[in-house]
Amino acid sequence: MLEIKPVFSALLRSKAGAVMLLIQIALTTAIVSNAAFIINDRIDYLSQETGYPEDEIFSFTVKSFDPNLDISQKFEETETMLRNIPGVENAGLFNASPLSGSGSATGLSLAPASERGPDVRTAYYQADENALDILGLSVSQGRNFRADEVIVSQTRDVFPQVVIVSRALAKELFPEGDVLGQTVYFGSDPLEIIGIVELMKGPWLQDSKPDNVAIIPFVSASAFQHIIVRTQSEQRAAIMRQIEDLMLEDHGKRVIIGLKEMDVRKAEYNSSNTLMLRMLVVLIIVLLLVTALGIFGLTVFNINKRTKQIGTRRALGARKSAIINYFLVENAMICSIGVTIGSIGALFLGRVLLEHYSIPALDNMYILFTALFVIAISLLSVLMPANKAANISPSIATRSI
Amino acid sequence: MFLHYIDLSWRSMKRTPLVSMLMILAIAVGIGITMTSLSVYHMMSMDPIPHKSDKLFSVQLNTTDDGNNWWTEDDVPLQLTYKDAMALHNADTPERKTASVRALFTVQMDDKEVKPFLASTRVTGRDFFPIFDLEFVYGDAWTSEQEASATPVVVLDEETNDRLFAGENSVGKQVYLDDTAFRIVGVIKQWRIHTKYYDLNNGAFNSPESIFMPITLIAPLEIQNMGNTNGWKYEEINTFQERLQSEMFWLQFWVELNTPEELKNYSDYLQAYLSEQGTKGRFERKTPQFNLKDVNEWMQYNKVVSADNKVLVGLSFLFLAVCLANILGLLLGKFLRRAPEVGVRRALGASKRQIFIQHLVEVSMLGLLGGVIGIAIAQLGLWGVRFTSNEYASLATMDIKMLLAAPAIAISACILAGIYPAWLVCRTQPAIYLKTQ
Repeated sequence: MLEIKPVFSALLRSKAGAVMLLIQIALTTAIVSNAAFIINDRIDYLSQETGYPEDEIFSFTVKSFDPNLDISQKFEETETMLRNIPGVENAGLFNASPLSGSGSATGLSLAPASERGPDVRTAYYQADENALDILGLSVSQGRNFRADEVIVSQTRDVFPQVVIVSRALAKELFPEGDVLGQTVYFGSDPLEIIGIVELMKGPWLQDSKPDNVAIIPFVSASAFQHIIVRTQSEQRAAIMRQIEDLMLEDHGKRVIIGLKEMDVRKAEYNSSNTLMLRMLVVLIIVLLLVTALGIFGLTVFNINKRTKQIGTRRALGARKSAIINYFLVENAMICSIGVTIGSIGALFLGRVLLEHYSIPALDNMYILFTALFVIAISLLSVLMPANKAANISPSIATRSI
Repeated sequence: MFLHYIDLSWRSMKRTPLVSMLMILAIAVGIGITMTSLSVYHMMSMDPIPHKSDKLFSVQLNTTDDGNNWWTEDDVPLQLTYKDAMALHNADTPERKTASVRALFTVQMDDKEVKPFLASTRVTGRDFFPIFDLEFVYGDAWTSEQEASATPVVVLDEETNDRLFAGENSVGKQVYLDDTAFRIVGVIKQWRIHTKYYDLNNGAFNSPESIFMPITLIAPLEIQNMGNTNGWKYEEINTFQERLQSEMFWLQFWVELNTPEELKNYSDYLQAYLSEQGTKGRFERKTPQFNLKDVNEWMQYNKVVSADNKVLVGLSFLFLAVCLANILGLLLGKFLRRAPEVGVRRALGASKRQIFIQHLVEVSMLGLLGGVIGIAIAQLGLWGVRFTSNEYASLATMDIKMLLAAPAIAISACILAGIYPAWLVCRTQPAIYLKTQ
């Protein structure tokens, strides 16, 4: 029923336009499938669970410049002051702020440093027994630090003996399970694992091991000190507005910088990913529009060129549906060849991106869905002009222009 | 003749306004998207110091054991240890060289007027200024005597000088950095660079530091660096002295080498230095390994232009190709429909060549219009980039090169798309169209 052969012969007579359409469809398929894949990859990355109640937490940095200050003692008072602000759930000193892009990492190993065994890369936070509460976390196995396990010191002479680790780190250190009570070494210092947190992220979401995190109960107040505060989420903004004044009231010889919400910090750290995502979305939308317009334009042009021919066919008894069919078949033929070439191109492009630009391997389902989508768009854009063609009156055939 | 062709193409555009608009729109969108990603790429990869980028070299020494991994492509650490940096800094050769590192200081004046603020500070040698071509508004760099004796002196940048002294000559005045009194010896002209190529540690597109002080102050003032510090083996570090003697990497080092000969001599020098250090048992390494990378090599090595940006540029050029295919299809239709008119012109004596050129002029006009609208679209795109990412804020602009490139790319793309249709139409046989109708 489908009149493939006449359509094909007609196509051969005006190749150039069809070839251009074919190239367009092929390129569109190749670009859209890869771009859609990258978009989805970034959406997954940006929307990943971090384990923290990001809308309740904010952090800032205090730079103290009073040389005569007993910094440890002062910060004890500061902590108390912060915890007493109405609306603040908990607050405390940290060596780094989660998701911020700046912090400390080390290698934890199963043997002391002198033996030089293999180690597991992990980010670590240093804070007191309030750490889990401040970050809105809880242990799923084991227990939290006791106050007497926290070491407050300006030097490394005394070091804690316990540690809480994330599930990912626990698994990598002890793949066989049974983690609680095991000993790991931070340099030459042994640490006993007393608790496991299911999910918490390190400072760098783009790290090779973003889920490996250890919390060490060690507080070493420094002249450049990070402080993290958790509040009731609806009060966070109000508390942040008064924090600088309160901090300076608490002690004058200090400067407060980097006062930011955790979610804002994360968004800033990820801004280049957000940018990539948005640009690709714009690219895909505009590309599909341009391609659809191209198909539309070319069909309109073809119909204008063949007005007489269509009129003749109608006069000879062709139904309207036959005319519509003709254009649909013609378009489907070009489109399926274009999509086939485009799919091969997509595979090739995906491989180039994988090899040279550290983009993960393209999932073939994306090619399939893009191909189907492109075919659908192309049929839709041909439908309207084809309908118009079907309405050409047979009498046109009898006129001489 | 050219003007006549332009007039003809204008008429032709007016005759088929819809198709012409579609074509201009297609090229404009293609150019807009391409120029958005290309402008960011261009700003990122631009040579920050063109006249001497091939004379400035970043020094890397591999003072780790054989088999130690680093995240660089050749496993060589990006920064130097304090002892190596200072050894090279104090060496006799070459003429201009400097270790440097970033620190943070609280800046305050003796009065209550100026609220204390934090300033990003470069702790470095006096050669830093001539190496990176920094010009002085007032005063000069500290002297080598002041550097040798670790005198607390500073150089401010113009903005800091404006903030503290309302732009007046502040040389000789005092400023407190973390409660230490420093005497100001110079004020540099504001350093405007897009890429902080001399220290890529904390974001390649951060602003340069605003205060400079002698590197010899690190030990007496126990200055903590604010950048990256990386170790590769376990060391017991309790005091600042132990930190200075440690194998941790935290300083950058730059040299200016003007001739291939100087480069060769300095390579030999580093080779000898590393061999000597190797014999002291600091590290186990069969052959000394070091890098001297010039500014552009250094930026590539540090992947200043991210893979994402390259992917975007590539994809947008593919997108431009789609737009071209689109235009080509439309041009074919448009030109061929005009065959009767061309037939008449041919019969009246126009040569094939003239017809061909006339049609190319017409597509160039389309390209020019598309390019201009494309610039507007690109500005919109760049606004979106600035809105999305603070980091890219200073990069997402079009400089004059890119502004000129936009119509140039648009016109050449259109000519490329127009060649085939123009060639088809200029082969029109006049005879056919002069018959009946």
